[in-house]
Amino acid sequence: MFEPKSRIPPAISLVASALGLSFATSSTLDYAAHLDRGLHDLHCSFVPGAAPTEAAEACRTAMYSPYAAFFRDKYWGGIPISLFALGAFTFFAGFALYLLIAGARAPRRAVGFFAAVGMTPLVASAVMGTISAVELGSFCKTCVGIYIASFLLALGVLLGALGLRGDDGGERPRGSWLVPAAFLLALGAVSLVPAAVYASSMPDHRPYLDQCGTLKKDPEAGDALSKMTGKRPVKTATFFEDPLCPTCRAFHQRLRAEGVLDRLDVQLALFPLDSECNWMLSSAMHPGACTVSKAVICGKDRAQQVLEWAYDEQDALSRAGKVGTPTLRAVIEKRWGAALLSCVDSNETKQVLNKHLHFATENGIAVSTPQVFLGKQRVCDEDTDMGLRFTLRHLAPELVP
Amino acid sequence: MSNTARVVAPIAGGLVTLLALGALSMSVNAGVRAAGQRLAAPQAEKPKVAVADHAEVPYCTPRFKQVLERVLHSCGLSGGENRRGCKPADVKTFASISDSDFNELFTPLKERGGVVLFDTAKDELDAEAKKLLADRWADRKGARYFFVVARASKTGSPEKNRALSHRRANSIMYYLKELSKDPEIEKKVGLLWLGNEFAQLSKEYCTWPNSRTGKKCDDESINRSAFVSWVDCRL
Repeated sequence: MFEPKSRIPPAISLVASALGLSFATSSTLDYAAHLDRGLHDLHCSFVPGAAPTEAAEACRTAMYSPYAAFFRDKYWGGIPISLFALGAFTFFAGFALYLLIAGARAPRRAVGFFAAVGMTPLVASAVMGTISAVELGSFCKTCVGIYIASFLLALGVLLGALGLRGDDGGERPRGSWLVPAAFLLALGAVSLVPAAVYASSMPDHRPYLDQCGTLKKDPEAGDALSKMTGKRPVKTATFFEDPLCPTCRAFHQRLRAEGVLDRLDVQLALFPLDSECNWMLSSAMHPGACTVSKAVICGKDRAQQVLEWAYDEQDALSRAGKVGTPTLRAVIEKRWGAALLSCVDSNETKQVLNKHLHFATENGIAVSTPQVFLGKQRVCDEDTDMGLRFTLRHLAPELVP
Repeated sequence: MSNTARVVAPIAGGLVTLLALGALSMSVNAGVRAAGQRLAAPQAEKPKVAVADHAEVPYCTPRFKQVLERVLHSCGLSGGENRRGCKPADVKTFASISDSDFNELFTPLKERGGVVLFDTAKDELDAEAKKLLADRWADRKGARYFFVVARASKTGSPEKNRALSHRRANSIMYYLKELSKDPEIEKKVGLLWLGNEFAQLSKEYCTWPNSRTGKKCDDESINRSAFVSWVDCRL
């Protein structure tokens, strides 16, 4: 174990804090870049400072999730959690530098304080890591970078605290009780400053929310759309979704996590991005999506159940779709039985799906999923992820509990 | 040394924290403000996304579309006029095209469409005709319009045949209404009745998919008919 005078523990803490700071900065700046409502590449790497990339699906999932930010009702996209990490790691870096220079002259209470607060990023990382595993189903590399930095920081402060046990002789001053209290206050202030700066400079997104058009033609019985009625519906909506589209899955999960799905009476138009049935594509973006869409239609009263199954099993269904229709049919039959599969194969279902696609044509929607309409108002694509809660709060406040 | 460290250490730590905090806050502020400026004055146009529309396949040549558009417009299918369909004189006038060229235009629809055959001087649909119609109607894909081009054979006067082909076109329309229960069917189906005056079919058309496969077909019987097809063009 290290000697009480050893500078290695604060050096580890300093390196860990600098690492955490680097990941938190790139994550924060990525988040801020999206405030222009555009789509940007993300820094999504274990290497701090690595170039942004398009292939950053896990980081995008994390960024769009409800867990990435606070106060999402009040601010478009909310105040990203990484801002608090940014402030905290700045404080920890400064504190580690202080302990590194002070060495054995640093008061015992300062070292003890650092040991106590230096563990908090690890606790926060454990919570966020669990959410990533359980709720999001993926780990973003930048987040993992912060988890690693948090672990190293915890290691550094723990080793520093253990060093105190060898210093019972009293070479190190004890320090006043006011020292930890003052440091705690400083930590709080430093952690809040970046968030306060971010919130005070944010643009106003309200003028943009209702600028994306309206539904030209209301759904009618003849359009034969599927229904998804929540437990306490207070608002009608029309969704155009593709059961094999990852963005649709993420959107559906966000609505569920927000508790919004239960408050909606949704008319669901299936819009598979698969050229087998969708003439608007020259090749299949999601092979097998036509077959899975027909399964959702055949679900009738259980359409939502079938759709959610398709989202849950999307990776497996997409793989089966790429192998071929027989493989995909076998997967559907295994879960939903021969009766539903026979419905999938029927001419009637083929025509119903065709009506869904023609409904999309009559409304001139973008060939991109999901497309979301609250009542007649179209929700802009850029408001269906980061800004979802803010948008709902302004366009349909009755939906936000 | 140790006393110096005792003084310098908290100053250095505090200073580094403040400097880093200041620099990071400025960086965050700059990032957010830059996004706000891009939002207020976008520098690049948003990438264009395709919009859902009806099908447009290679056989939709400018000539084909020109003829069909004239017919559609003039025969009341587009624009919500009360007129329904076109008689031979209309088609001749509006299409501005020879008989053979008119028929040639429909050649790409050989497999997409079908020929509904009728008995002599009759306009009733038999079971095979209904099946052919139901099959073709169901196979809409991305088409906007369904065309019915009814004819009559040379036997009989032009007036009588004009009326007969009109009734044949109407028989198909009634059946499609009954089959589809579509309240907007009037906006989808285009009716043309040519009698025996324009664009008669030759015996070669007996090889096209029809409702009486395997039965006798000649220059007369192939014209006791109505050609039906969805048309995959944006008109």
